[in-house]
Amino acid sequence: MLQKLKSVRFVLTIGLVLSILFAGISAYYKIRYWGFSFAPKKKTAVWTVEAHVAFEPTGDPIKVVITRPTPSKDFKVLDEDTVAPKYTVNMTKDKVVLTTKPKTKHQDVYYRVLMYDNVDSNGKTPAARADKIVRPVLSEQETNVAMEVLETASKLEGDAVQQVIFLLNQTPPDQTVQAFMPERSTNKETAQAIIDLLALKNVSARMVRGIKLQEEKKTFVPDVMIEAYIDKMWKIYDIKTGKKGLPSSFVVFQRGADSMFDVTGGENSSIKYSVMKSLRSSFKMAGHRAKLANQQTSFGYSIYNLPVNQQNALKWLMIFPLAILVVVLMRNVIGISTMGTFTPMLIAMSLVETGFWAGLVCFALIIGMGVAIRAGLSKLNLLLVPRISAVVIFVILIMQFLAIIGYNWNWSIASSALFFPIIITAWIIERASITWEEEGAKNAMKQIVYSVLVAIITYFVIVNEYIRHIMFAFDELNLVILFVVMLLGTYTGYRVTELMRFAPLAKKEK
Amino acid sequence: MFERLKSMVRPSALRAAGVLGMNARNYDIIAQNNQRSLYPLVDDKVQTKGLANKIGINTPRLIGVIEVQNKVDSFLELVKGFDEFVIKPAHGSGGKGVLVIKKYTDKEFVTASEKVLNYNEVYQHISNILSGLYSLGGRYDVAVLEEMVHFSNQFQDYSFQGIPDVRVIVYQGFPAMAMMRLATRESGGRANLHQGAVGVGIDIKTGKAIAAVQHNRPVKFHPDTKADLMNLQVPFWREHLEIAVKGYDMTGLGYLGADIVLDKFRGPMMLELNARPGLAIQIANGRGMRDVLENIKNNYPKGLNFEQRLDYVLDVAKA
Repeated sequence: MLQKLKSVRFVLTIGLVLSILFAGISAYYKIRYWGFSFAPKKKTAVWTVEAHVAFEPTGDPIKVVITRPTPSKDFKVLDEDTVAPKYTVNMTKDKVVLTTKPKTKHQDVYYRVLMYDNVDSNGKTPAARADKIVRPVLSEQETNVAMEVLETASKLEGDAVQQVIFLLNQTPPDQTVQAFMPERSTNKETAQAIIDLLALKNVSARMVRGIKLQEEKKTFVPDVMIEAYIDKMWKIYDIKTGKKGLPSSFVVFQRGADSMFDVTGGENSSIKYSVMKSLRSSFKMAGHRAKLANQQTSFGYSIYNLPVNQQNALKWLMIFPLAILVVVLMRNVIGISTMGTFTPMLIAMSLVETGFWAGLVCFALIIGMGVAIRAGLSKLNLLLVPRISAVVIFVILIMQFLAIIGYNWNWSIASSALFFPIIITAWIIERASITWEEEGAKNAMKQIVYSVLVAIITYFVIVNEYIRHIMFAFDELNLVILFVVMLLGTYTGYRVTELMRFAPLAKKEK
Repeated sequence: MFERLKSMVRPSALRAAGVLGMNARNYDIIAQNNQRSLYPLVDDKVQTKGLANKIGINTPRLIGVIEVQNKVDSFLELVKGFDEFVIKPAHGSGGKGVLVIKKYTDKEFVTASEKVLNYNEVYQHISNILSGLYSLGGRYDVAVLEEMVHFSNQFQDYSFQGIPDVRVIVYQGFPAMAMMRLATRESGGRANLHQGAVGVGIDIKTGKAIAAVQHNRPVKFHPDTKADLMNLQVPFWREHLEIAVKGYDMTGLGYLGADIVLDKFRGPMMLELNARPGLAIQIANGRGMRDVLENIKNNYPKGLNFEQRLDYVLDVAKA
């Protein structure tokens, strides 16, 4: 007997451990590849960056080259497209090439990229070797100024690159700096000055251009950062603050000094970037993430690929096992007896829909009216099945009555009546009445209070948005709950209420 | 409520006292000793009675069984020739749905608690039994009509109305613990402990009272009759135990509770057997049952017949 108990527990414990392992691995997998999180974040930000190239054709065959964002793990590209009628589109690794026959009228072409999931990068791009250092061509006087600038910079804090950046950005500007570069220089000019200065110190550096994602941004110039090759790695710096690392909102389009776009067969060309932010359901994005991670099959067979209404139904179902666990704990570990095993759970489910106080007050109203009517019914001495059927019909009538009252008096508490399960409510009324008749009002009240108490506890577990999100997003947890419930099926210790019930026996032993 | 919380004891204290908890009862005792397929033998009082008669256990004599609604009308014909009778559901539990008629005419029926019912009310009661109002799980049921027990004067001072009965727990064929349940005014003449009846722990070897409780608290005197409960001695004790022990042979249930009443004329009679007897008996006896059951399982001889088991228990207990 004991042997058998041990082996059952052993098997179940192994099952529990395996299910925890499985849930853990699966949770890691979902977070890593599908972008799930423990927090109930329902929306994912999707950034749309649009490059608009405009030019006047010269009459030659046209070729427009626009740089694409460099593929990286920091951003995932949801979609990419071009709006350029009658152009032939060719995508290379880092460029979009649009070609067409000669045109006569003003031309507008668009390249659009949708991105999401920018995560902090460490700002270090490993690179096997540095670019060749291109020393700037400077006059002797300019070289002297540059050396002076470097000399001043070396007295500042930070590493070699930061020292230069800090100096160039000082306000009011240092005199030597004023001599070296114009006061109102563009970002690009500043970046170039930094690169030139670093070249003199034999540090290889390059320009990094891209777009800083900001809502409703429109700009003709890309944002600029610089990268320096230090300790066999490319390190990225902000050219204004000298801060190291790639900001989470910065999308790199191009490294090096090449132009961001190039038009052949056109003149007066310009490029304009605009940025837009939109929000999408995280679960919808999961499919795309899975596709990027080559995990499409497993995603296809998960619940998140189902139609939305089925997903919503499942989301509701996924909370049941947890509620059941609460019921099992209440009965077998705490030892509270309730009317019907799962009745409190169903009441709790209703409370979630009605809201706590409204639901509780309304439920009390229904039960109160029901028991009063049932007391009248019992005088008629009806047979069991017709009697409980009559109670069911009365419950429906009460709900209808409350719904109408609630609507007309604008009293939402009454309106929530419709959310309670009819049959369960009828049985509660029936049992309460029988208990009342046989064992007195006190016992009947006690039973109802215990049932509602368990319902309230269950309610607070399942109403939590985090818990509901986690039970849906990481549905393998239900397997863990299954084994916990089965293990509780072998629990032979005392119930908490028994510690009170049998207290006189323990005291005697002392 | 809070007072009760304060009275909570540590689990280790209960374990030391050998108290059997509900989970352990279900898992270690009932599930291991009582085969599910044997339950109908005790859940259906008609079957139980048949088996009991076969093996020679005294039970209240069966008058008749009403199985279908259109036979309800014939109950008066069935009881013809009997001065009093009892109507009970075959699948009832805890005394629910039991109607004791001690005097009647064609129109009026006087119950044990002196309530006067008319024909319709009795008819209705039988209908309710058939529709499953009192049966386990609300299944359709049959109504059993049987002879009334003539409650022995022996216990007159110990019970307020109602019939006191003896509950004996039989474990693997050996009587393990016993108690007597005495109705009180508060319990409304019923012998249910949770309704306020008095539970008296009875010594297995002698049939004498060892402790008594009402509402979980020790009592010395019956609250209504003021009789000294410690003077209680169950007469025909060996015969009581014999019925209980035979219950094991007749059903094969390793853990059962036998409810026995003492009839003035026919001696101890078995009222019913229970495959899931409760744990309140421990409180009435003032001691845990787990040790007792474990001792029986580990140290008592196997393969004895009921006579030998009875001798063994009474001798062992005497020593």
